[in-house]
Amino acid sequence: MFDFDGTLPLMMIQFLLLVAVLNAVFFRPLTQAMDERDGFIRTNNTDARERLAKAKQLTLQYEQELAGTRKQSQQVIAEAQTVAQKIAQDQITEVRQQVQAEVMQAQAQLESEKQSAFGELQKQVDTLSRQILDKLLGATLAS
Amino acid sequence: MHHSSLLLDSQNWFNTLPLASLEVGQHLFWQIGGLKVHGQVLITSWVVIGLLVLVSVLATRNVERVPSGLQNLMEYALEFVRDLTKNQIGEKEYRPWVPFVGTLFLFIFISNWSGALFPWKLISLPEGELAAPTNDINTTVALALCTSLAYFYAGFRKKGLGYFRKYIEPTPVLLPIAILEDFTKPLSLSFRLFGNILADELVVAVLVLLVPLIVPLPVMLLGLFTSGIQALVFATLAGAYIHEALEGHGDEEEAH
Repeated sequence: MFDFDGTLPLMMIQFLLLVAVLNAVFFRPLTQAMDERDGFIRTNNTDARERLAKAKQLTLQYEQELAGTRKQSQQVIAEAQTVAQKIAQDQITEVRQQVQAEVMQAQAQLESEKQSAFGELQKQVDTLSRQILDKLLGATLAS
Repeated sequence: MHHSSLLLDSQNWFNTLPLASLEVGQHLFWQIGGLKVHGQVLITSWVVIGLLVLVSVLATRNVERVPSGLQNLMEYALEFVRDLTKNQIGEKEYRPWVPFVGTLFLFIFISNWSGALFPWKLISLPEGELAAPTNDINTTVALALCTSLAYFYAGFRKKGLGYFRKYIEPTPVLLPIAILEDFTKPLSLSFRLFGNILADELVVAVLVLLVPLIVPLPVMLLGLFTSGIQALVFATLAGAYIHEALEGHGDEEEAH
């Protein structure tokens, strides 16, 4: 069972050769491949992380811009409403004044027409009353 | 020696049974130069090495960013041994040691499982029998000595001759124990692996001899589990020894 012979050194030599051969065809290429893959994954991961951070920053920026724009638009609307209200008020006041002026004018015209009509009537009353008087008195005078 | 002769005796007795046979300590001897080698161990180790290299080449032939199929499997294996090495040696210095510790783990793991899963016995040899390479003491001692070399190399490359300071660092009284450790480390590494795998195969073989059906299955499953654990333990300890050589007592005190 314990008989040592030439197998021992031969086995040592062929084992060391096996180490060299496996190092060349197995350990080195596969280690290199795995390291390269590690590097690839790490680079990709870093890239993706950077892109994610960038995207997050952009989102934040957009949200801020959006909020600003919304505020601005509300302001514009409020301003426009104020201006419109003011214009409407102005126009209403103007129209009201105009209407009042027209009413006044119409009243004045009416008054003057009334006056003239009264004057005419008065004149007619005078004429008619003289005619009546004439008629009445003339008959009396004639009789 | 007493044990092995006992097993040989029992083997002779078992050989009279037709169902299965048990062989321990018989080898297919090859003569290379002036050296005798165990052919059956080398054959199975070549199969294991060939499998590992083939799968690695197929997995890395066309490396893609999104892995699939074999590449995925081998990346899983690589990540496993890389984590194991990182846990033992530490974040800073583990990288150059991943191939060594990883190959230790993969080689032992595939060897153990090949012994448990592949029906080697169907291929008959003129002498001895094919089994897991790790059930031969030569293989485990070779791996353990490689581990020893590795941690000495790690220590010397990091600190030069200052590496010897670790032998007398807390107190010179422990010098004999520190020296003894350098012998017990490979010894325990090799014998643990060898004993577990051989014992597992023996238990399965004996159970198959006694009850050929069903009953050995739980033991076989346990053997698979043990095989994985032993591979893990061997690689983890190798990593721990290398870490120890790299750190040393002095550095640790500075660090704390």
